[in-house]
Amino acid sequence: MSKKINLTEAVKGMSYRIAGFINQESDYSEKLSKMGFVAGTPIELAPVKIFDPLVFQIRGSRIALRRKEAKEILVEGV
Amino acid sequence: MHKVERIAIAGVPNCGKTTLFNSLTGARNKVGNWPGVTVEKIEGTFPLQGSRIELVDLPGTYNLSPDSEDQKIAERVIRSGKYDLIINVVDATNLTRNLYLTMDLKDRTNQIIVLLNMLDVAESEGLVIDIEKLSEELQLPVIPVVAVDKKSVANAVKLIEKSIESLPEHETHVAREDVVGTVERFQHIDSINDLVVKEKKDRRENFTNRVDSVVMNRFAGIPIFLGAMFVTFWFAIGLGSVFIDFFDIIGGLLFVDIPTALIGLVNGPEWVIALVTGVGAGGQTVATFVPVVFFMFLALAILEDLGYMARVGVVADRFMRKIGLPGSAFIPMVVGFGCTVPAIMAARTLTNKRDRFMTIFMAPFMSCGARLPVYALFCAALFGAYSGLAVFLIYLSGLFMAILTGYFLKNTLFKGTASNFIMDLPLYHTPRIGAVIKSGMWRTSNFIKRAGVIVVAAVFVLSILNSLGMDDGEITFGNEDSQTSFLAYAGKAIGPVFIPIGISEDNWPASVALFTGLFAKEAIVGTINSLYATMDPQAGLDAVEEEDGGLDIGGTVVEALTTVKDGLIGVVSSFDLLGIGLITEDSATISEEIGSGASVYRQIATHFTVFSAFAYLLFVLMYFPCLAVVGAARQEMGGFYAGVMALYSTALAWSVATLFYQVAEGHSLFYIAISFVVLLAIYGTLYVIGKKERATQTVVFPPPVRRDCC
Repeated sequence: MSKKINLTEAVKGMSYRIAGFINQESDYSEKLSKMGFVAGTPIELAPVKIFDPLVFQIRGSRIALRRKEAKEILVEGV
Repeated sequence: MHKVERIAIAGVPNCGKTTLFNSLTGARNKVGNWPGVTVEKIEGTFPLQGSRIELVDLPGTYNLSPDSEDQKIAERVIRSGKYDLIINVVDATNLTRNLYLTMDLKDRTNQIIVLLNMLDVAESEGLVIDIEKLSEELQLPVIPVVAVDKKSVANAVKLIEKSIESLPEHETHVAREDVVGTVERFQHIDSINDLVVKEKKDRRENFTNRVDSVVMNRFAGIPIFLGAMFVTFWFAIGLGSVFIDFFDIIGGLLFVDIPTALIGLVNGPEWVIALVTGVGAGGQTVATFVPVVFFMFLALAILEDLGYMARVGVVADRFMRKIGLPGSAFIPMVVGFGCTVPAIMAARTLTNKRDRFMTIFMAPFMSCGARLPVYALFCAALFGAYSGLAVFLIYLSGLFMAILTGYFLKNTLFKGTASNFIMDLPLYHTPRIGAVIKSGMWRTSNFIKRAGVIVVAAVFVLSILNSLGMDDGEITFGNEDSQTSFLAYAGKAIGPVFIPIGISEDNWPASVALFTGLFAKEAIVGTINSLYATMDPQAGLDAVEEEDGGLDIGGTVVEALTTVKDGLIGVVSSFDLLGIGLITEDSATISEEIGSGASVYRQIATHFTVFSAFAYLLFVLMYFPCLAVVGAARQEMGGFYAGVMALYSTALAWSVATLFYQVAEGHSLFYIAISFVVLLAIYGTLYVIGKKERATQTVVFPPPVRRDCC
């Protein structure tokens, strides 16, 4: 099992899996989980050259999240 | 036989639910509100099993947990058990995100048919879906459909009829809270997805990624956005304005001239004519809004369908987050530069109620096209070479006031937590013309129906006051824009209120104009023109001759059509959307274009100084957004918040205009202090209202209160 990092530390071109949220109980994490951000789901940074918000590819769709808020999400490398 | 009478359509946002709804029901829509909330429930009927079935389009939602307004509504409808069947529209291009809702629905009821939409798009993206397998796994009937294609929809209806027969006995379950956790549920969905979906080749995302790298770039993003807005304005305002005169003239003919002539024929009394003219003028005002509103909706629908709007949200998020709003709230505010009414309607795309209301409060401060003629008139009379600067400063003040309003509201009326920013970025695709036009027409007709009623009513009352007057102790009609109408009396009575912003009491036309500005801000120009002309001793010499012919239907229609032709030529030959050309032209041309004579300029120059004129313009910019706007705000937020908004903007306008005038010229410490007191009072009042509203909110929502009787 590899080290958990937060989503903003992810590197382009690498594949990750969701590991959880820093705060599991928050509305934000609940909202995201129901959109499919659940443990084990593959996620990667979209090859889009922008800094903030960040664009992620997950479950066949592309979701933009604020950098600050994406820190809530923990991922691990595959 | 399994008989179905009411059907609800459910689905995630953007799955093609509304397109399907429109295809099924044709034009037979009616719009209703859910009690207590203002998100719309849309109802219609369509033929099924040989009778007309009631159909309701639920708000798009990813699940049924009650954490947003839309979801609450959907949940409530399904829980009510009032609907015999739920049609769950599922976007084939993204099964896993759609099936969560399907699972939630399955927890509530067993009467579900899945319509698998956008199969054509899925195929073009290299996805192959095994429909039978999907149906087997979900244990629900699954019917493929292309919602934009009429034939496909007709075929799907036949299949729905067949499937209904095989549905089990109707059972509505109480929501079993979290029996299945989110993680387990997605594991289940993923396993279904693996069984059902085969990806033939890589999905074509490269194009979208490459475009996104440019349009959302840190430096290029904003200029590209401004360019896109410029084209949108040009399209909506430019093309829409071409038809404004046409609608104005035809509206006037239909609602005012013809009825008046008919009454004249039967020698109806003068008060009937005044009454009919009042109502007709209301209809005419609504009619003039129609083309701009339609083209604005059309332009927005195109940008939305293209997939660009989501990107605007991303670009704007970097600064909108500072006032506690998501980037998506910026889109309606930009629309506000054109016209505030569609801006308020555009706020509907925001999912969070707090964000939506805050945006609606801010939008009227973005200076709209109707306010421009007022600035132009004063610029021509007073500002001369500094006209461009003055107008620019007014626009800037508007933007500043919108931001200030954001800060105000964030700390008072709409305290709640700042919302997160989660934006789904769809793949770009070519806009579907049919769907886009339908959406534009549908939203426009809604505008006419809802805003129309309040505008007609209010215009009616004001026209009566404008016509009714006191002459030698007798109440008479026909006092329009004269010193003897009740409206003029009201203007004189309220005059003292405007002394702090630099309008002296003998300058009563300026106060009266603010009354007529309630209809529509451009009405201020008309009132000032006619009232000052009657005050000027030389008026008779250079006043423009009013044409006063009889009723000439043919001629009027030709005149209306000519305005369209001239307008089209104008649009093609210039990109002048914000009417900047109006400002830079010399005053002779301006007076021709806005129909003011030299006597009016003399009067303006006599009654105003540069500073009091600017204070007046600030007031015009900010005070009571026109009636159409209040009508639209009422439609979106309910009467209470629309009222708060109207009062708030007027109070803010007064204190800001006073502050400006007193600091610049009046130098009265007393009034400066007063304007600060008013600002504080606004802040305090909003704070108190906000606290009260938050306290009652928890009581209002859970039990749905229906007031059907009396």
